[in-house]
Amino acid sequence: MASKARIPIYQTLLIAGILIVWEVLVRTGVAPVYLYGQPSGILQKLIALTASGELFTHAGATAFEAILGFVVGTTLGSVTGLALWLSETVARILRPIIVAINGVPKIALAPLVVVWFGVDIGAKVAIAASLTFIVALISVYQGTQEVDPDLVKLMRSLGARRLTIWRKVIVPGASPWILATMRLNIGFAMIGAVVGEYISAKVGLGYFIYNAGALYDLNSVFVGIFCLMVMALVLDFLLVKVEARFKW
Amino acid sequence: MVKIRKEVVLEARDVSMTFNQGTEREVNVFRGINFELHAGEILAIIGPSGCGKSTLFNIIAGLLAPTAGAVHVDGEVVDGARGHVGYMLQKDLLLPWRTVMENVTLGLEVRGTDPALAKERAAGLIRSYGLAGFEEAKPSSLSGGMRQRVAFMRTLALDPKVILLDEPFSALDFQTRLVLQGDVKRIIRDRNKSAILVTHDIGEAIAMADRVLVLSHRPSTVKSIYPIDLGVEGDDPIALRRSSKFNEHFDVIWSDLDIQVSATA
Repeated sequence: MASKARIPIYQTLLIAGILIVWEVLVRTGVAPVYLYGQPSGILQKLIALTASGELFTHAGATAFEAILGFVVGTTLGSVTGLALWLSETVARILRPIIVAINGVPKIALAPLVVVWFGVDIGAKVAIAASLTFIVALISVYQGTQEVDPDLVKLMRSLGARRLTIWRKVIVPGASPWILATMRLNIGFAMIGAVVGEYISAKVGLGYFIYNAGALYDLNSVFVGIFCLMVMALVLDFLLVKVEARFKW
Repeated sequence: MVKIRKEVVLEARDVSMTFNQGTEREVNVFRGINFELHAGEILAIIGPSGCGKSTLFNIIAGLLAPTAGAVHVDGEVVDGARGHVGYMLQKDLLLPWRTVMENVTLGLEVRGTDPALAKERAAGLIRSYGLAGFEEAKPSSLSGGMRQRVAFMRTLALDPKVILLDEPFSALDFQTRLVLQGDVKRIIRDRNKSAILVTHDIGEAIAMADRVLVLSHRPSTVKSIYPIDLGVEGDDPIALRRSSKFNEHFDVIWSDLDIQVSATA
């Protein structure tokens, strides 16, 4: 058994190995660079795009859209999910509608979003927000249903009314679900922003990747993808920090 | 000798419960249950599984309306959950995000008691019953026995007329269970409370209760009520179990339950 300390070493070796094989295949002409890119070329592109500041402009735009969409969608979705506990009738009425909306691939809604929100930043935020809203709504409502029914019974035996039970037991009881949803939604918000940029944009990583792909500039495509990965890791890291503060 | 009529705090009069009445899935849980709970006594209810003990508790707590009959607490008909009874279950049901102190004050908070007053009362309970120093601890850091103590304090904090104990010790290990049985019995006496204890454990019923009520199979009726007299002073659970009368009571109640089991088997 390898000790735990060796795992980062193996991870580094694995990634380095893949990069070296990739580089060799391209250099020997087995794999054409316009189809696969090339590690050394990607690195050069990364340095050039960072130095010119172009990368930051795109990354900043995408991050802004994703974060704004995330905050709006997750907040509204969580609040709605929590509130649905208050009325079982309303929850029953809305259930099939929510399931139906959740089943629709959100990219199919893109023309509507363009018509309603234009092609500017508002459209990207709207797509990110609508994706995260649905995910938050469904999983937070599920969270309220998972709260121990005996806790609700206990509160009722104490003479608590529904709103009191909701405030003191349901909302805190569902909070781990809200945190779990937030981590899921970071990914969904980035999908929303990038998809929005694919459809129509003048700035952003989605636009940058799409454009580079159209020009067969695969090195730039990989720089964009790499940049999205880093962004996802940073946002997830920040959320884990937040989550740790809410642990019981 | 002049017979003094004992003060009745709770009375079940002809309580019947049928679920899904008039449908194919109709279940007649119990029929014409009658009993009285006297002030200051502990009444244990035992019966075969499925005899509707939990349903009976829900009716007493006002969480469920009986199909017929009524439960009276202090002469008034129970017609909804009003916090007139304190509930303690097998699960401690502590809120994990609250401290010990905040869990004990939960009921007072719901009732709208002034927070300073609630805290003072809770602090008194926590000090008296052996959890001083744990006021700010989270439930996850406590043992099962300590958690159940906190749950009991939460029940006491509301100063309920009647305390309902629904198998509160069954999830604990044997030693902890004995200690808590003794403690809870003593606290109920000291505070002059009345309690109904539902349990599967005949020994627990005899050690804790003044009277033991045996329910029959479904549809349950009150089969018999045994006054318990162990002739032992104090609440030491071991001393109580050593009493010869303990075994006599045990045999009688056991056979009473056993007849029911074989009659339907």
